[in-house]
Amino acid sequence: MSILSVENLCKNYGQVQALKGVSFSVPRGTVFGILGPNGSGKTTLLGIIMDILKPTSGSYNLFDATPDETYRRKIGTFLETPNFYHYLSAQKNLEIAAALKERGAQDIPRVLDLVNLTQRKDSRFSTYSLGMKQRLAIASCLLGDPEVLILDEPTNGLDPVGIAEIRQLIKQLHQQGKTIIMASHLLDEVEKVCTHVAILKKGNLVAAGDVNEILANEDIVEIGATDMKQLAAIVTSMQGHSNIKNQDKIIQLFYPIGTADVESINKHCFNSGVVLNHLQLKKKSLEAKFFELTN
Amino acid sequence: MIKLLKVEWMKIRSYNAFIVISAFFAVGVFASNYLAYSFKKNVIDPADPTGLISAGSPFGFPNVWQTVSYYSGLMLLLPGLLLLILVTNEFTYRTHRQNIIDGISRNQFTQVKLLMGVIAALVSTLLVFIAVLLFGLLVNTGSFSFSGIVNIWYFFLKALTYNFIAILIGVLVRRTGFAIAVFFIYSVLENGISILLLVWAINIKKNNNIDLGNMGNYLPMNAADGLLYSPFDSFTNMANKFLPSDYTWLVFLLAIIYLALFYFWSQQRMLKSDL
Repeated sequence: MSILSVENLCKNYGQVQALKGVSFSVPRGTVFGILGPNGSGKTTLLGIIMDILKPTSGSYNLFDATPDETYRRKIGTFLETPNFYHYLSAQKNLEIAAALKERGAQDIPRVLDLVNLTQRKDSRFSTYSLGMKQRLAIASCLLGDPEVLILDEPTNGLDPVGIAEIRQLIKQLHQQGKTIIMASHLLDEVEKVCTHVAILKKGNLVAAGDVNEILANEDIVEIGATDMKQLAAIVTSMQGHSNIKNQDKIIQLFYPIGTADVESINKHCFNSGVVLNHLQLKKKSLEAKFFELTN
Repeated sequence: MIKLLKVEWMKIRSYNAFIVISAFFAVGVFASNYLAYSFKKNVIDPADPTGLISAGSPFGFPNVWQTVSYYSGLMLLLPGLLLLILVTNEFTYRTHRQNIIDGISRNQFTQVKLLMGVIAALVSTLLVFIAVLLFGLLVNTGSFSFSGIVNIWYFFLKALTYNFIAILIGVLVRRTGFAIAVFFIYSVLENGISILLLVWAINIKKNNNIDLGNMGNYLPMNAADGLLYSPFDSFTNMANKFLPSDYTWLVFLLAIIYLALFYFWSQQRMLKSDL
């Protein structure tokens, strides 16, 4: 069963096409990253799924069914900005959210504790800092322990400790078998947290699938030596690589996935009279992939 | 819907503007009537001992139903203002999105606001009912009578019209300050246009002898207003002989049609647009 599936979703804002026929599905139990630069359509996509935006065309399903408000209650969603009543306290705002979701009223102390807001629970929302507002929004998502969470840039505005805490929390929730759909423009975040990824570029879906499949389609071996010129000369006689990139203090050798043999590279260099001072096998970094895909 | 009403109550019960505006309205209902009562007693009565102008006893039964409903009606911009702020607050705080994300439908979002409009109208009407009893029985001691109670119903209709107009403007305009300005400017503008229409109707009656009724009362706010007028405004009463006749049934029908129109317009706006 898929938690969410979108089918050929299009959205126009006047002349601007924010989504141009996007289709993918989110399997149960995954941490699904929706990755794209600013303005690529991530929030628009999630807004349509939550029925606050109307799609120009296309359709979507939640839990394999045509969605209505009762499906939204089963999902903890945080979209774009923390939206709360400024004149009410965190406690009262969460009471309202729990009443609308029809669950989680007894859960309020637990979620406040999870995001470290228990001490400030009776302060008005308007007195909160950006990071605290963000944490309250995440607390609201966790009300009633939902099976599915949709988080739009959840670490925006948080300090480094806060960011680490949220990522840890997402990993914990994943271990408990929950499905998390997370939009982000932070490559590093998706790489660290997600099991699956869909990459959006100007409203088009560029790639979607398992993080390891999408990201690591090449092995990269980085080598370095004191005499870079000689090293550059001898790598040309090596076999099996698909590409070579000379950088300042290292040379990158690209191999089809699973074919890089680090040992034989080392042996070849040593036999050719070059002693390596740097030898490392890397999967292709998400950042490199991201730039390649979106530029 | 009970659940949603409870949520609305959670939103407003500790909202300062709600408490202040409600208090102003409650005090205003009694104060405006007392002012009229005091003016009648201290200014009109000494000048007009025979009761020629003041048309009898406006604060005794059965006239008191009409008098109190009329003067309380002057305060109805206040609950309208309150509902308008409650609607635009949702847009300001973007909680209209969050409410829908958390699990209500777009339909329910407007329905509960309109229902709040009905409840506010009912509460205002109850307040007026109490004011009638207070003035009719205590201030102006006399015997009780149900005759003229239809004015309470007209008051309810007027309150509902004001509230629905306010909610509609809130849903259409979304920004608090701008919406309040539109609400007040609209109420003034409509009165102005209504006077022009009345003058036009008088001319048509005079020149062509065709009685189209008081066309000023055919506009939304004035349709609701037109059902209620001051009983001791004897100048209007006298002038009415020369004015086009007021088709109460038509004005009443229009008031109901406007209410339905505002209801569906607010609904449609929330159903169709991006939030």
